Amino acid sequence: MQNTVLRTEQLKAFYVLDQFGAQKVVKAVNEVDLDIRENEVYGIAGESGCGKTTLLKALYNAIEPPLRLVGGKIYYRVNGKDVDVTTLSAEEKRKLRWEFISYVPQGSMSVLNPVLKLKETYQDFIFSHVSRQSREEALNLAKSHIAELGLPRNVLDAYPHQLSGGMRQRVTIALAALLKPRIIIGDEPTTALDVVVQRGVVQLLKAIQVKLQNTIVLVTHDMGVQANIADRVGIMYAGKIVEEGTTEKIYGEAFHPYTRYLINSLPKFGDKTMRESAPGSPPSLANVPPGCPFHPRCPRVMEICQSQMPGFTTLGADHKAACWLAGEGKNGKAS
Amino acid sequence: MPAQGDPVGRKEGSALAFVKRYLIPRLIQYFLVIFLGITAVFFIPRMTPNDPVQRTLQEMKARGSYLDPGTMDEIIADLTEMYGLGGSWLDQYFAFWGRLFQGDFGVSFFQFPTRVNVLINIALPWTLGLLLTTTFFSWTLGNIIGGLAGYYARRSWSRVLDTVAMIVRPLPYYIFSFGMLLLLAYVVRWFPVSGGMEIGRTVSFSWEFIKDVLWHSVLPALSLVILGGAVMFQTMKLIVQNVNAENFVQYAKLGGVTESRIVGKYVIRNALLPQITGLALSLGQIFSGALITEIVFSYPGLGTLLYNAIITGDYNLIMGITVFSIFAITTAILIVDLTYPLFDPRVRYN
Repeated sequence: MQNTVLRTEQLKAFYVLDQFGAQKVVKAVNEVDLDIRENEVYGIAGESGCGKTTLLKALYNAIEPPLRLVGGKIYYRVNGKDVDVTTLSAEEKRKLRWEFISYVPQGSMSVLNPVLKLKETYQDFIFSHVSRQSREEALNLAKSHIAELGLPRNVLDAYPHQLSGGMRQRVTIALAALLKPRIIIGDEPTTALDVVVQRGVVQLLKAIQVKLQNTIVLVTHDMGVQANIADRVGIMYAGKIVEEGTTEKIYGEAFHPYTRYLINSLPKFGDKTMRESAPGSPPSLANVPPGCPFHPRCPRVMEICQSQMPGFTTLGADHKAACWLAGEGKNGKAS
Repeated sequence: MPAQGDPVGRKEGSALAFVKRYLIPRLIQYFLVIFLGITAVFFIPRMTPNDPVQRTLQEMKARGSYLDPGTMDEIIADLTEMYGLGGSWLDQYFAFWGRLFQGDFGVSFFQFPTRVNVLINIALPWTLGLLLTTTFFSWTLGNIIGGLAGYYARRSWSRVLDTVAMIVRPLPYYIFSFGMLLLLAYVVRWFPVSGGMEIGRTVSFSWEFIKDVLWHSVLPALSLVILGGAVMFQTMKLIVQNVNAENFVQYAKLGGVTESRIVGKYVIRNALLPQITGLALSLGQIFSGALITEIVFSYPGLGTLLYNAIITGDYNLIMGITVFSIFAITTAILIVDLTYPLFDPRVRYN
């Protein structure tokens, strides 16, 4: 069993909004337990608006108003010690970023400073973390790093607007890997790209992970991308993880009715039948249905589903689901 | 300058292409604007009901001199000749261009027979000295303070400054400056009430003279810097708050880039782009003077000169000042256009 590198305990992150005096609470991440290991690619999948991006913000320890950490803990395993990162000071948080945990943004269109050459952006990221003596070395490292990742060498002399979307996304991935972080978090890094470029980006991420032997947490709604790269996948619905397992388990023996809908929506060669999708639309996170939040859309809904949220039931090695159909849910809480 | 080593393989534009495709058309446009502007300024005063010849005659009559009709006709003819108002408008127009190329704007009507060039030469140093420094100071201070206040918008000092700017800015300038004058020159007599220097002092390069001029300029300058700076402060604060929400700033924060780098290179650098254009435009406008400042503080300068020229129908003086102004503004815009790629690499001319 690999060591855990990133762990959450009953993580609750809500958006607390004040609208005309009435308080509105959006339960974007609701009691999530995650156990992400060293040297793996962990995928988080789910529909738009299920709280994936908020979960990433929390994992990245970038919780800022209106998002609030309502409960729970986030631990990083830094140099063999568990660190509760929610209690760190701003400067301690800043230092962990990029050196221990880095981030690949969703759209690379506007994340690079338009008036700086990429070299300067790279310098800013390096110099903010590396001591003055080893800066020159770090910069040379960045250059060879760029070449290794198959990007043109002169890319550092360009301005962001001179690059194509795919190139820019690869530049941000290379930037995220620059200081050899133990964890790289990707927020839909492939979403804005066409499939050919997507493939290149996924391969780049995988290559980096293999080289650095580190952890990638990848959020995407694209089940095809998850199948390609992830070792384990967590399925998120309405702010909760509802099923988690190895990629083979999730794609081969999905248990939760919601996961099945997701998997069945994938196209298959030779199969020309209509793909069935989950009926209805995801619930508003400001007004989550009681019990299992999926019950209004579930084809196999039972009475208990409408009032109580099930816990996790272990279905096999590295496979668990939170569904009353699977059992009582004695193996950990999901609600 | 074209992009070097462009990785997406765009053609590198040569300097020649820049001259052909951008510089020459832009220069033609520049001269066309100046030509049209000067032409407009030539004809517009001639369409006003102010006739400088009749005006001079009325002044002579008002002084009580009796003129018989024959002499009157002669004087009219002489004045028309002297003011360059003989012949049709078209004749005057060509004669005007001829004189303009020699840098001669003719004589002033209302301070007859002083030449327009002399009047402008006397007023220009005062206006330049006052407005160049105040524009520079209000721009720099407003942008630095506004930039920081925008970045740290939640701090209490930022809110205090914002409130101060919100109170100061909507005050009409003439009331604000008059209040300053009353308070600082009349109630507590720290500064002189009027003038650009002590009456009777002669221009010299002595420390005494410079001290006197600076002392007289404090109130007008302060009033301009405070109000201009407040406008700059509010604009910059708004722009910075917008830039602060941009993805590249958020990304740099997530990347743990140090705060000083984010403030300087990410936020303020991008927020300054529109402000640079604003600076050039306000520098161009200096040449029309600051009329209200000059009136409130009885300060010498181009504003009062232009005002007097307009109310007395002094065509030549109007022409002289506005030609200066047209040149200054169009040149300022040209310089902004040509140098903008240095500040914003997304703008390229080729």
